[in-house]
Amino acid sequence: MYFAVNPSDELPLYRQIMRQIVEAIAGGRLKSGDRVASHRELSEQLVVAPLTVKKAYDELEALGYIETQRGRGTFVCDNPPPADLERVRRDARKLLSEAYLSGLDFGEVVKVLKEADREISRGPRREKEKV
Amino acid sequence: MTPVLEFRNVSRSYKKGVPVLKGVSFSVGEGEIAGLLGRNAAGKTTLIHTAMGLLTPDGGSVRVFGLSPTEHPVEVKRRIGFVSEEQVLPPGSTVAELIAFHRYLFASWDEGLERQLLERFALARGSKIGKLSKGQARQAALVCAVCHRPELLLLDEPAGGLDAVARREFLETSIQLSNREGTAILFSSHHMTDVERIGGRVILLDEGKVRLDRDLDRIREDICIAVVPRASAPDAAAIERTTGCLRVRLVLDDWHAVMEGTPESARQALEESLGADGIRCVRVPLEEWFIEMVGGER
Repeated sequence: MYFAVNPSDELPLYRQIMRQIVEAIAGGRLKSGDRVASHRELSEQLVVAPLTVKKAYDELEALGYIETQRGRGTFVCDNPPPADLERVRRDARKLLSEAYLSGLDFGEVVKVLKEADREISRGPRREKEKV
Repeated sequence: MTPVLEFRNVSRSYKKGVPVLKGVSFSVGEGEIAGLLGRNAAGKTTLIHTAMGLLTPDGGSVRVFGLSPTEHPVEVKRRIGFVSEEQVLPPGSTVAELIAFHRYLFASWDEGLERQLLERFALARGSKIGKLSKGQARQAALVCAVCHRPELLLLDEPAGGLDAVARREFLETSIQLSNREGTAILFSSHHMTDVERIGGRVILLDEGKVRLDRDLDRIREDICIAVVPRASAPDAAAIERTTGCLRVRLVLDDWHAVMEGTPESARQALEESLGADGIRCVRVPLEEWFIEMVGGER
């Protein structure tokens, strides 16, 4: 599984890590029961502080996305938390109004959504990272 | 639990009586990675030198593993690794000789780690130190600093003058050490993206004092910059009185204020205290935050 963080992003690194793992689960790239890299492995892969990855894992665990089994590793939970449909609707209205305010029409919003869908189901593109 | 490194109200002046450190207090716990930020001459190197036992504080105390580094220099140095931009390595020695010297000093030397690092850095044992590039010389220094598996790594601007690839390799090695050995790391750096990448916590030194000591995530999430039109506030003090204001400076025709809180809460607080609107608040990357905290023009 390929993850990448961008230190210049507005989101703190632990939130960037959380978001990517949730997206991987939502997009079906990580399935229930799949093993995810240990926080130390991911810390070395991403070159970020181990405690930063641990914080992301702890929050994901508290939210019910992953669970750590002592001595075995970290796995994707069987039943990831269901989305709050009312919130999805609210966010959709917010997304649409912001898009319309920036001059996009409905067709263009659909294009944006398709692009996001591709990214979620295939993972982030391996761009050369700015250092 | 005893912190790995503890500064308590440390002060120190240059020989001519010019104060560099004016009462610095903070500690670093086991396995913690802390970034030490500050402008040139803020006192970062002086502070790290007191932890190494190279300088004695004029006041206050420094404890490394609970010990005074000047009273127990051997015990403390055996458990510390140190790399500095200013470190001078003997130019006439070979990499092998330099390493042999360090291996001789430390009983806990890990030859497996030594081989692994030399391989990763593609450092030839036979190369003369004086013929190495800046990046390779720093890597050789890192090998010498970490192969005795220190419990505390002090890095003073370790990436200064290195290219992006060498810097990344340096960070990778530091992270691995922290991961596998639980090494605590205090590092000073002017490369904010490096600090954001590997630092869990940031300590900002300004004019010899700790201006802010906070988890990096908290800085990202709970601190923002407000841009206030110059005409909306009579002077800096009016903005500074606002709850949560950390610093104000004038930049061209606007006041820039570093504010605690989310952009929304900071804007509300400023609008209430100044009775003005047209205030914009944004979250910013660490580099912008650093410039707003210690940049010129108050």
